[in-house]
Amino acid sequence: MKSYKEIEKKYTPKEIAESFVFPHDLNKVQREQSLDNFRKWRKENEAKRTVEGKLKIQLLQLKFLMEDYIQQMDYKKDYNFSYFLKEYIIRLEKKNKDFAGEINVDPTELSQIINKHRAPNEKFIIRLEIHSNKNFPAIMWFKLIEKEKVFQLEHDTKLRTSENKHVKSRLAFSL
Amino acid sequence: MTIHDTETGKEINVTIERASMADFKLIKKNKEFGFNWEECKNKEVYKLCIVNDEKIQGLMCVFDHTDQYTNAIEIELLELRKENIGHDKKLDRVAGCLIAYACRESIKRGHGGYVFLYPKTSLINHYQSKYGFSYLPFGPKEAGTLNVDGDISRELIKEYLQ
Repeated sequence: MKSYKEIEKKYTPKEIAESFVFPHDLNKVQREQSLDNFRKWRKENEAKRTVEGKLKIQLLQLKFLMEDYIQQMDYKKDYNFSYFLKEYIIRLEKKNKDFAGEINVDPTELSQIINKHRAPNEKFIIRLEIHSNKNFPAIMWFKLIEKEKVFQLEHDTKLRTSENKHVKSRLAFSL
Repeated sequence: MTIHDTETGKEINVTIERASMADFKLIKKNKEFGFNWEECKNKEVYKLCIVNDEKIQGLMCVFDHTDQYTNAIEIELLELRKENIGHDKKLDRVAGCLIAYACRESIKRGHGGYVFLYPKTSLINHYQSKYGFSYLPFGPKEAGTLNVDGDISRELIKEYLQ
């Protein structure tokens, strides 16, 4: 295994810092004391953060969760459009009625979308994009809806059965 | 997410993913990394690769401190492929992308963007000036940590991942 001393002989400190992070060699007691030191700093640092700073991190967390879920292959029933919309509103600490006013939709319509009784349309997701100052692009919201629709379509055996009788002729081979 | 080809001057798209068991065997076989990464195979290790290329350009091992008081990601080990180190390195920004990825994971997991590492004393200033870490000294030599919080994490993510 490479040692720090060997690396030091070969590269400048700047080059090393741009290429490596080394494991610590603290004993158990030193390590725990060092972590306590970090914890104290973290608590003091967090107490100084602004409300806006904390909100930005909350919203970024939501955005990263959305992005990674969209990228994943697997479908999660609970990670749907209405879940992320609810989270967006909760993190902004707004009441549903007030948020509905901000994007000029009827509170009933918003409630129906949140409770999955109604699908959001393009106007709605564009307003979400605008409301978020493009931090949550419409395409992201659209891909969430699309992911859910793909799952529903793949698992809708009832629809396939009912549509089967409407197809009079089909290809005789599989590609 | 892009890195920089120092020969052509072009920006290259990259991906960062968990390293697989097969990756650890290859890393050991190819000898392009000096550290014994086999020792990390049961830990959380990420690899950076150019899109559609299996060659690993950089590795990072992190530890997720989930207790409510530490509540941060620790970068335990990071190493670039040999050809990406030094004044004639082939690719630039590899380490920055990996560190920014740790910041992104910290935010995503609810740690607020807090990331830390234990620096060698001679490297503290360089980590600070390159990545914006702040040094928190502590008693015995090299027990201090270099830390970033949510604000610096956001900057690193903007710089390296967007």
